Amino acid sequence: MTAIAPEAVNLRTTPASAQRIWRVVRLNLVNKGTTIWVPAMIMGFIWLVNYLIWWIIWAATPVAERPHAMDGTQWSGGGSYIFVYMLVVGIQVISMTFPFALGYSVTRRDFWLGSALTFVMLSAGYSIGFTVLSFIEQWTNGWGLGGHLFTSVYFGDGGFWERLFIVFVAMTFFFFIGATSGTLFMRWRVNGLLIAGALLALVIVGAVALITFTQSWPAIGDWFTRMGPTGVVAWLLLPTAIAALAGYFVLRRSTPKS
Amino acid sequence: MSTTLTPTSIAPTVQVEGLTKRFGSFTAIDDVTFSVKPNKIYGLLGRNGAGKTTIMQLLTGQDFATDGDIRVFGEGPVENARVLQNICFIKESQRYPDDFQAKHVFRSAPWFFENWDAEFAERLIRDFRLPLNRRIKKLSRGQLSAVGVIVGLASRAPLTFFDEPYLGLDAVARQIFYDRLLEDYAEHPRTVILSTHLIDEVSNLLEHVIVIDQGRILMDEDAEAMRGAATTVVGQRRAVDAFVDGHEVLHREGIGGLASVTVAALSPSQRAEAAAAGLELSPVSLQQLIVRKTNVAATEFEQSA
Repeated sequence: MTAIAPEAVNLRTTPASAQRIWRVVRLNLVNKGTTIWVPAMIMGFIWLVNYLIWWIIWAATPVAERPHAMDGTQWSGGGSYIFVYMLVVGIQVISMTFPFALGYSVTRRDFWLGSALTFVMLSAGYSIGFTVLSFIEQWTNGWGLGGHLFTSVYFGDGGFWERLFIVFVAMTFFFFIGATSGTLFMRWRVNGLLIAGALLALVIVGAVALITFTQSWPAIGDWFTRMGPTGVVAWLLLPTAIAALAGYFVLRRSTPKS
Repeated sequence: MSTTLTPTSIAPTVQVEGLTKRFGSFTAIDDVTFSVKPNKIYGLLGRNGAGKTTIMQLLTGQDFATDGDIRVFGEGPVENARVLQNICFIKESQRYPDDFQAKHVFRSAPWFFENWDAEFAERLIRDFRLPLNRRIKKLSRGQLSAVGVIVGLASRAPLTFFDEPYLGLDAVARQIFYDRLLEDYAEHPRTVILSTHLIDEVSNLLEHVIVIDQGRILMDEDAEAMRGAATTVVGQRRAVDAFVDGHEVLHREGIGGLASVTVAALSPSQRAEAAAAGLELSPVSLQQLIVRKTNVAATEFEQSA
């Protein structure tokens, strides 16, 4: 190999697909502040504010009525913050990290697969934390005041795996809905979002019409009761999978506008 | 074609044929053909909006061609990790994640660029006095350019693009870029494509020049050849007019009885003839030449329209 032509170029070896995908995961997580510390801190702050409110209710309510008054906190929506945050993270991964990753010569395929893996990893981490907190909340009888934040009705009262499953699935749902909305915007700008939103609205109205005309509302109610939180949430896997697949194909032909 | 990407490639770094890119009814790149030889510094020159960034986005697979063929290291670049692995292209308008500080860029870059030289990057950061802990959104235009320049230099990609690298950089920083690029290029030869509209600033750096205007290639020539490609003839109007008769005139201006006319290259005997007629000859800088050429193209375009 001594007779290399003067104009020959030493090219780099191409890393394996798994390695290329993994570096996208690392890129998505390079700023831990955004993906880990900030949401954890805000969640902590929400907990603190809730705790203070519980304490006010607890202190202002006669002893006999306290259990009843604190019961209402099981409808607390404070825990939903984290899911909306993840929706925004999903959007930003496409709107900001994707154009940047193209500058690092990442393929769209590797970027989507790496980001999907990032979403699954973050969902796993957060759902474990969330579930552990829900048990602490339960064991301490609502942080000593009977309050509910991590054990609100939406997350069910099943065992460890059931709670973990609900939070995990809900979280991946929000990540992928956010990211796929991001790809629609990246490829077709506002029109993409408008048309996708219009189609979704039509599908929902159509479904409502179908249910109403066939007088199936009681059956739907039964279905929700029968499925329970775990069963209903399991059905979220379907739109999540559709979003993940659609996002991949939309992104493959997307170009950031400068 | 996958066998062409062995550790060494003797294919032209870039080969483009009949490349066209339309955005709706607007033709940004119009049936362009050119090639880029390995290990040279190319200038991609043209006015704002001429199509420089679009060409670079097409070469790096960031955008999709409407028509035509692009080969980079012998293969199509779109979604091709084997090709993209060898490319670094930080756009002038590169978006960074809002929460990124410069340090996040330099922490993550080595994961993507196999030849990344961390020491070199640190030296450049010091040279450009780039604050690492400030959000990229808050950096000045010059500091933002420095981020792209540092990534481009330290990544040592076999095909490196610099898109308007001078934007916002002060004279000292521009000189640093110029010096570091030449130093490092000498030690680690690679293909560099540098786009700019500040032509005189880079003209000494370039080995080959591609000028584009309104999506078409106007010139594709060796830089050395281009420097002697035109001459300005100055003197009495009548003498100048007599002399340039029959020459390709690129530009003409005059005050009173004096005329200054830019013509295509002159042979030694023609030069002697001009001197005998009492005319002054002066070389035309790359920038002047390109301004003249693009103006000619504009008037031709107007006449044909």
